[in-house]
Amino acid sequence: MTEGTISATFDVYRHDPAKGDRPRYQRYTLKLSPHTPVLTALLQIRAEVDPSLALRYSCRSAICGSCAMQINSKSRLACETHIGPEIEQHGRIVVEPMRNQPVLRDLVVDQASFWKNYHRIEPFLKLDPAHPMPEGRPTSMTPEEVERFKETPRCIACASCYSACPAVEADPGFPGPMALAKLYRYVVDPRDRAHQDRLVRVQADGLWMCLRCHLCTDSCPKDVRPSERIRDLKEMAIAVQGATEHGSRHAVGFKDNLRDRGVLNESRLVRQTYGTLGMAGQLVQGLHVLRKKPEVMRKPHPIEGVDQIEKIYEALDRPSEDGA
Amino acid sequence: MLQHEVVVVGAGLAGQRAALAAVEAGRDVAIVSKLHPLRSHSGAAQGGINAAVGAEDSVDTHIYDTVKGSDYLGDQDAIEFFCREAGPTVIEMEHFGTIFSRGADGSLARRAFGGAGFPRTIYAADRTGLALLQGLWERLGTERFALYEETELVRLVVRDGRVQGLIALDRRRGEFEEIAAKAVVLATGPAGRIYGRTTNAHSCTGDGLAAAYDVGAFLKDMEFVQFHPTALLESSILITEGARGEGGYLKNAAGERFMSKYAPHVVELASRDVVSRAIVTEVKEGRGLAGPYGGYVHLELMHLGKEKVESRLQEICDYSRHFAGIDPVTQPIPVYPAQHYMMGGIGTNIRGETNLAGLYAAGEAACVSIHGANRLGGNSLLETLVFGKQAGIAAAAYAAAAPRPEMHATDLETAVAPLRAWSGRTEGEDPSALRTEMQETMDRYVGIYRNEADLLEGLQRIRRLRERFERVRVVDRSTVYNLNLTDAIETGNMLELAEVIVVGAYARLESRGAHSRTDYPKRDDARWMRHTMAARGPEGPTLSYSPVAYTRWEPKERVY
Repeated sequence: MTEGTISATFDVYRHDPAKGDRPRYQRYTLKLSPHTPVLTALLQIRAEVDPSLALRYSCRSAICGSCAMQINSKSRLACETHIGPEIEQHGRIVVEPMRNQPVLRDLVVDQASFWKNYHRIEPFLKLDPAHPMPEGRPTSMTPEEVERFKETPRCIACASCYSACPAVEADPGFPGPMALAKLYRYVVDPRDRAHQDRLVRVQADGLWMCLRCHLCTDSCPKDVRPSERIRDLKEMAIAVQGATEHGSRHAVGFKDNLRDRGVLNESRLVRQTYGTLGMAGQLVQGLHVLRKKPEVMRKPHPIEGVDQIEKIYEALDRPSEDGA
Repeated sequence: MLQHEVVVVGAGLAGQRAALAAVEAGRDVAIVSKLHPLRSHSGAAQGGINAAVGAEDSVDTHIYDTVKGSDYLGDQDAIEFFCREAGPTVIEMEHFGTIFSRGADGSLARRAFGGAGFPRTIYAADRTGLALLQGLWERLGTERFALYEETELVRLVVRDGRVQGLIALDRRRGEFEEIAAKAVVLATGPAGRIYGRTTNAHSCTGDGLAAAYDVGAFLKDMEFVQFHPTALLESSILITEGARGEGGYLKNAAGERFMSKYAPHVVELASRDVVSRAIVTEVKEGRGLAGPYGGYVHLELMHLGKEKVESRLQEICDYSRHFAGIDPVTQPIPVYPAQHYMMGGIGTNIRGETNLAGLYAAGEAACVSIHGANRLGGNSLLETLVFGKQAGIAAAAYAAAAPRPEMHATDLETAVAPLRAWSGRTEGEDPSALRTEMQETMDRYVGIYRNEADLLEGLQRIRRLRERFERVRVVDRSTVYNLNLTDAIETGNMLELAEVIVVGAYARLESRGAHSRTDYPKRDDARWMRHTMAARGPEGPTLSYSPVAYTRWEPKERVY
């Protein structure tokens, strides 16, 4: 706990679409202790300067997931972001609404698409009449089985990941990191009886749209690591169904390619991903590559020490201790 | 106008459980909640949920511990029912999908909690509320019901002693909804934000309590306010009792485990009222630590080891690191008591019925009473589920036979006219300023230790604030997410409830559980083993008293 105050400048996004006004940034300057959370500062602005500032907030302890917003261009919870380091690094604090969701007013966004995607993965236990829950007692679950959930039960549905995700921005068909982390939570649940069906369905319904940029994991205030769970889902999906999608075929082709020669064979990878006939659809791009960088289209020679790669693959293919 | 058979207000655990029960009974159900259900304050509950499922434990011991914890103000018939439902309730939540922590044999893991004879608190790390909230919401999501999200209760409509529906404000559209209902279940949680030093979320403003009181429901035992012993200094963020349940120590400035003086048998695991008073006494008598945010004591977890602290108290590690800048693996956590829970609430029986036909209440908004003068840790999550379900069942049965509700065009106007007046003013009182003054008043005059002079001063101040509230002004003119307007609605509600708390505390001339009168330091069973019932009168609350239900447990002195 620190004493003394600093002068903190906030540039806060203001917009009331219902009034038809244009978005603007309003500047507020407050004297605050450096360990003041941004949420506390915004509430002080509301109480002392401008009661019309709109934001979502409730618990102020990073458990209700209400106050996610962009703070100096990063998706953060306002309640656990302290002003001191922000001022030190950026000189001021720019506060904006989350991305990838339309603004209702100021810092409040419409979360309908976020919640819709969450429900889309069917977040509930699916049972099988042949395996009912035990009568009058809880299901037995070992601590090791609980470990398989990883950090997904910590998710507070704040949508920081949804805001940070470029795949959500590029394609509204992508369920988003939170929904996929939630799906993972059901796929590893020993009580759920629809693991295979869930994996087969998600392969064709957005799983491979993830760009593996890890911005979701970076922005998560609860260390849920959605990108790692998406990776796990991809592996599990291929294991149950094989590579049936462009995305999974590309991943498998990539792996086989490296195994053989230690370097990518681009034309083979395109064929593996899209199939021989499907390659026709890639013709324009292929010709473009051929003109610019003809060498990548040639069949490469195996690199020196390619046998070592085989050993790495063998080690990776051994089941890990946690069974994931 | 919208219409449903059963409308549940509030979507925390009690509200969701009530809604599920009413849906399962075949009724047309709607949930009205000012937050998205997953953002409800139930999710902030940390330590666990009590159920005597261990081989060495028994339901009777759970009942006895709860009766004793209540300082003999809990209704023993209700407590018996409550404790018997505990096992089935936890099992049901497990079957719904809740992810609990487990023992090595695959059973539900249990930890020790204050005032409990055995380790009977079942948990999910230190985020049990979140785990239950997710499990229940995901189960409820498989059913059909209407959800009015971010919609705030403004007023109940009661005609001929029967509930007819309610008026609510949709925050996102800024429109007032008229919702006709045969039965209404209030599950709006507590009013902890009456206090400044509180572990409660900003949303805990007692909307349902105020609405019920307004139309003639009784508020019961409102003077019994629980202060949690271990809230983080300054922010008052909760540090779970589970931290002591896992073996944490409380130490004063001299490094003494001072609880051994106050509770020689169970030390840190005494009941919450006992531990909170001990901390305040240590600080008052000069044995606490001092800093810019006032006196405090240390909660030490260092001796438990990094592995245990980081796995079982994962969120506590985060809270301490983020909100107090300390690492509990290597440093003591600075703590001081803060308002945490309201034992009182809308008076109900075990079916959630109030004194008004068609009006039900459950969870922290209700007072059954099972907690009496002091609630045991781990019993509130259980209460939300046990009595949420009962209220849902009762409301559904009532609605199946109730006549068609009658809403009049004037109902909306009656509810909304005062709000329009607030917005039409060119000068007046600022709701935030009134709220802050109320919180300072309650912290200072109606805290852990109380006396006649303080309570009288507190009452006069709250009454002056209520007069000033008559001139409240809303300056924000927007329809969308107008927090200035909802601040004003909530502040008005809380001022009314604050008055009920102070009047009840002033009248009760004894010390029992969380109500400690320095001028009446002894419990007085002959005169005061009875519930306070507050009804709204023209000059403020009028009090009456009702008997405590007895079954098997004779009142004894409480020693821990």
